[in-house]
Amino acid sequence: MAMKKNMIPLLLFFFLVACDSQPKSAFTGSVESKVSAVGTIPQESIFNLTDTFTTQDNKEVSLNQLEGKPTVMAMIFTHCTYACPRLTADVQNIEKKLGKKAEDVNFVLVSFDSERDFPTRLNEFKKEMFLDNNFTLLHGDDDAVRTLSVLLNVQFQKNSDGDFSHSNIISVLDKKGDLVFQKEGINADHTATLEQINDLLK
Amino acid sequence: MMIRNSAILIILFSFTFSTGFVGGERNYAEKKMVRIPGGNFTPFFRLPNSQPIHLKPFLMDETAVTNQEFLEFVKANPQWRRSRVNRLFADSNYLKYWESDLSVGEKNKVLYNSPVVYVSWFAARAYAKWRGKRLPSVAEWEMAGEARPLNTKYKKLTDLILAWYQKPNPKVLPPVKSTYKNAYGLYDMHGLVWEWTFDFNSFIKSGDSRANTQDELQLFCASSSLYVKDKDDYASFLRYSYRGSLKGNFCIGNLGFRCAKDLK
Amino acid sequence: MKAKSLRIFSLSAIVLAALAIQTGCKQGNGNQDYDLSKIDTVVTGTVTAELTDAPNVPKPLTYTSPKRVMVKLDVIEKVMNISDSSQYTFWTFGGHVPGKFIRVRQGDLVDFTLYNHPDSKLTHNIDLHAVTGPGGGAEASSTAPGQSTHFQFRALVPGLFIYHCATAPVPLHIANGMYGMILVEPQSGMPKVDKEYYVMQGDFYTKGKFDAPGLQDFDEEKALAENPDYVLFNGKVRSLVGKGALTAKVGQTVRLYVGNGGPNMVSSFHVIGEIFDKVYQEGGSEVNRGVQTTLIPSGGASIVDMKMEVPGTFVLVDHSIFRAFNKGAIGQLKVSGKEDPSIFKPIKN
Repeated sequence: MAMKKNMIPLLLFFFLVACDSQPKSAFTGSVESKVSAVGTIPQESIFNLTDTFTTQDNKEVSLNQLEGKPTVMAMIFTHCTYACPRLTADVQNIEKKLGKKAEDVNFVLVSFDSERDFPTRLNEFKKEMFLDNNFTLLHGDDDAVRTLSVLLNVQFQKNSDGDFSHSNIISVLDKKGDLVFQKEGINADHTATLEQINDLLK
Repeated sequence: MMIRNSAILIILFSFTFSTGFVGGERNYAEKKMVRIPGGNFTPFFRLPNSQPIHLKPFLMDETAVTNQEFLEFVKANPQWRRSRVNRLFADSNYLKYWESDLSVGEKNKVLYNSPVVYVSWFAARAYAKWRGKRLPSVAEWEMAGEARPLNTKYKKLTDLILAWYQKPNPKVLPPVKSTYKNAYGLYDMHGLVWEWTFDFNSFIKSGDSRANTQDELQLFCASSSLYVKDKDDYASFLRYSYRGSLKGNFCIGNLGFRCAKDLK
Repeated sequence: MKAKSLRIFSLSAIVLAALAIQTGCKQGNGNQDYDLSKIDTVVTGTVTAELTDAPNVPKPLTYTSPKRVMVKLDVIEKVMNISDSSQYTFWTFGGHVPGKFIRVRQGDLVDFTLYNHPDSKLTHNIDLHAVTGPGGGAEASSTAPGQSTHFQFRALVPGLFIYHCATAPVPLHIANGMYGMILVEPQSGMPKVDKEYYVMQGDFYTKGKFDAPGLQDFDEEKALAENPDYVLFNGKVRSLVGKGALTAKVGQTVRLYVGNGGPNMVSSFHVIGEIFDKVYQEGGSEVNRGVQTTLIPSGGASIVDMKMEVPGTFVLVDHSIFRAFNKGAIGQLKVSGKEDPSIFKPIKN
């Protein structure tokens, strides 16, 4: 207990010296610029994940840089011929239905495929799927991707042909990274998903 | 990022010295690892057209990680102490039978050399990293666990496993090396505790086991349905169902782990 | 089963018939009975379900509008006697085989928690046949040891339903005793009887023979061959015999809620020396009368009513009779009271 008491001024110190005023869009800052997040992220936030990912634009990021906007997140792989394009389309539909408000939401697709979905490929996929700039596509190493999948309760398995079997889940995180809502399935009814996002935007 | 973490670590470290150590002292003698030859592994649940997975040879801990070994990790990594651990990474049962943050406890003396249980996947993974190791994959663990038992009364491994699954948990968890040794030289792969694997969440299930053997086109990318290697292998079904019900922060009384490592 | 649903229930209970009229026409096309817009679904208040171990049944429900009903079942793995000399590791819903009897009313919103005891070795879940939803709840209730899961369902269709564990391998979980029953009373109520009992059949497969001494392991080969060592009522040889016998008095009407957990055997349920006055076939709403033996499929149920006219010991059996004679499928209903020679009397030569 004594330990904890001593920690508070120290954390406060970190918080104060590193305070910044980054614009709150997805991954605009560099990894280091987010030191301010120490102590501000709630315990249950997915942003506590410390692994780093790489965007389709080859930028190294960590998830806590999503802080400040609600996030719609799904895990896919770009060589997928059946489920992932549909799941991606589902996320796009959510974006469309949000209209102008979509700009205040992060749309993040994270690839299972750490061996093939490098930034160049993610960028191609982004164009193929006509994903706009509200979308960020992420590559991570095996460890980072597995850990994120565990946090999001997404099941996946790599098959011998290099493709993946996986569950199809769209997750909604609040501005601080707490997992607040999940919907499983392709072509699912996303009425409740939209309600959740709208609530978070209030 | 790195700078932030290590700064906090250093600060926390300086506090650990004042709290003092109780119970189960012993330096970590390099834990014995056993070489598991590689080979082709056919997953229990697989797609109809999928080839077996090729596994490279690897090293695996001879036994599950013990309370004593895990205590060293907790001492060196304050964020993994019971009172400080993030609920995202370990539920409220984390190490609940330990006397305190830094002591397994005098009353648990009999458990020092038993597998550590009530540990989450995140904690197991962090432990492995700290030792310069990793968690074995499901395929690695299953392949290693399939090896012939050397010193048991059971003729078939599945009989041994099923007999264990059907016995309620013992009141006091026995020490490692108390069940059987297999042909690879691994101890207690079955019959002592369940063990975490790196990709425990790779079992694609709907929660309703009966759906797993049926056509579930929408669930899968690559093909139409999942096949089961051997539908009479009830022991494997039980193990995969167990894994399928886990979440990463679950801490359970009969769930421990052992580490693996790549061969250089 | 769908067609006459509530009509038959209400016909037999004049008092409750008034209620049925109040809640609207329940006759004719059966589908409307299960149409949410046609049944009373406005939930007022919360109750905790009374749960009972066999052969007891929770008291008839007295509330007349839908409730939120809290149900919590604990999964417990434990060694118990399967016969006088043999023990077996049972996996149970609530500590006994069969599992706790649950009683709710059509239109109720059931708030269901499944808790898997921390000492359990395995993961379990539950599929209630009374649930309209994925896996009967199984998808939402996969529960690791020490954890609990939670889901909610609307009791749409009245009838007697079984529930069971549906975790892989399903047959093993059922073979180890993971089943029980849930009764969904129609909104018009069940006709009142004097005694209600809970009987559930199940078949068991052990390495040792019937009544072999000691703790017996499950025998997968016998189970696959559908060759049980035990066919039992309420999970143990002689559970309904002697001290465990069901009782009634002459003149009373006895209702048995009979289920069959299986995993393999279909029951030819019969009570020696009685004729079922009413059988709610397959646990649904269609009533047949004057039945000697009723078939209860594995994973199914039946409700039988019989008025006891004469005293004596009436024997419950699976009339696939080797099972009764050699494998344990036998129980007793002891009826006390005055003889009625006009119905039965032995004649000495």
